[in-house]
Amino acid sequence: MNNIIQLNLIQFSLIYLLLLLVLFIMKKSKINQTRLLVLASLRMTIQLVLAGFVLTYIFRNPHPIFTTIYIIAMVAFAIQRVLSKNRGLNTKFKIGIAISIGISGILILSYFVMIIVGESLLNPQYTIPLAGMIIGNSMTGVTLAIKTFMESIDTQRDKIDSLLNLGVTPRKILIPYVNNALETALLPTMNSMLGMGIISLPGMMTGQILSGTLPSVAILYQISIMIAICTSVCLTTFLSLSIGYKSLYNKRSQINIFL
Amino acid sequence: MEIILKTRDLDFNDIIRYKDLEISKKKITFITGESGSGKSTLLKLINGTLSPSKGEIYYNGISILNIDSIELRKEIILVSQKVFLFSGTIKDNFRQFYEYRNLECPSDERMIQFLEICQIPFSLDKDCSLMSGGERQRIYIAIFLSFEPKILMLDEPTSALDNMNSINVIENITHFCKHREIAVIIISHDNTLVERYAEEHIVLKKEV
Repeated sequence: MNNIIQLNLIQFSLIYLLLLLVLFIMKKSKINQTRLLVLASLRMTIQLVLAGFVLTYIFRNPHPIFTTIYIIAMVAFAIQRVLSKNRGLNTKFKIGIAISIGISGILILSYFVMIIVGESLLNPQYTIPLAGMIIGNSMTGVTLAIKTFMESIDTQRDKIDSLLNLGVTPRKILIPYVNNALETALLPTMNSMLGMGIISLPGMMTGQILSGTLPSVAILYQISIMIAICTSVCLTTFLSLSIGYKSLYNKRSQINIFL
Repeated sequence: MEIILKTRDLDFNDIIRYKDLEISKKKITFITGESGSGKSTLLKLINGTLSPSKGEIYYNGISILNIDSIELRKEIILVSQKVFLFSGTIKDNFRQFYEYRNLECPSDERMIQFLEICQIPFSLDKDCSLMSGGERQRIYIAIFLSFEPKILMLDEPTSALDNMNSINVIENITHFCKHREIAVIIISHDNTLVERYAEEHIVLKKEV
């Protein structure tokens, strides 16, 4: 296999021309999101350039402390994103989400890097990209789950009140919403597993093949990361919801959904 | 006269202060009062879905703080004015509410008995989503009544019913509850009902 062709910066910048096509279609369809498109492209570029610099530095000067800091920053950012997308949660719920993302992410990541790959968890080349995929997907899953959970119990106040008035325990009332939210969070991951290899060649595998890895090796990594992502999404969401739903009621079996 | 419920120095969030109340066993008590006087809140304080900021409520002489809330709510059932029914038939609704309480669904005869009390002449297989607000309200009451609590609290039970229906439903419910020795507390704005069925009448005033 050939090694990857380095992108020439001038050639590379031509990719931005494609955005003009998006802008044109958006203008035609009267979608008033030009600012968002510009902002999103700009932010992505800046963020990735920075990440590129930081990663280059870390790979050249591998030190356990850099890897550790990078992972902690990733987890912290993921937690912050989930919480900012779900306002109005009580403190215990928020702490539950933070702990769940941290514990499940690190656990699954360690299993992958140390047992499947057989590398040190502090090796940045493996740990950082894999952590990004595992924690990033967990973040998306949890955000979706908590949103679904809170919205469905908020819109079903009359049902919840009726069941409480009848002497049903808060646990029995809330568990169906927990299960439903967990399912909602898991479906996208499982659906993407269904189409993998046929409808799409997934990102990590594409990346590895582009940089010269044999497809036979790339698929093993891809299968492993998909299973790791699925497990991490499941575990993070399950833990977040399990801690979270209990924070919504007190010893007197009164349910308080929002702060 | 036996007292089943009494309140002492009850206060909710410093917004509503209640005079001390006593509710008699086996009696039909009506609660009336201007809006904002805390009628619905009082019922929620009694079944412990809300907590008072001050004061206490005694059920059979025991402070409700010393009674498991779930057990309390099984004995003192509140039929809220916000009706909720599951999608599906009348029978499905009985089944689901009973399932939530870990109880076996009552027999068809029993369901029909309670529907008749609430003036619902429909088949058990009729879909609830196609019914009017008044019909849904009566089915909701029928299901809650069928649990036969010690105290039945009805919050505006006839708000979606016409006069004739209101009288018939309240007549049947009070008759049934007297027979089964269930104390009934009804919040209502309907003076005809109060005059006709109240054995005790509590008027709440905004006391600030």
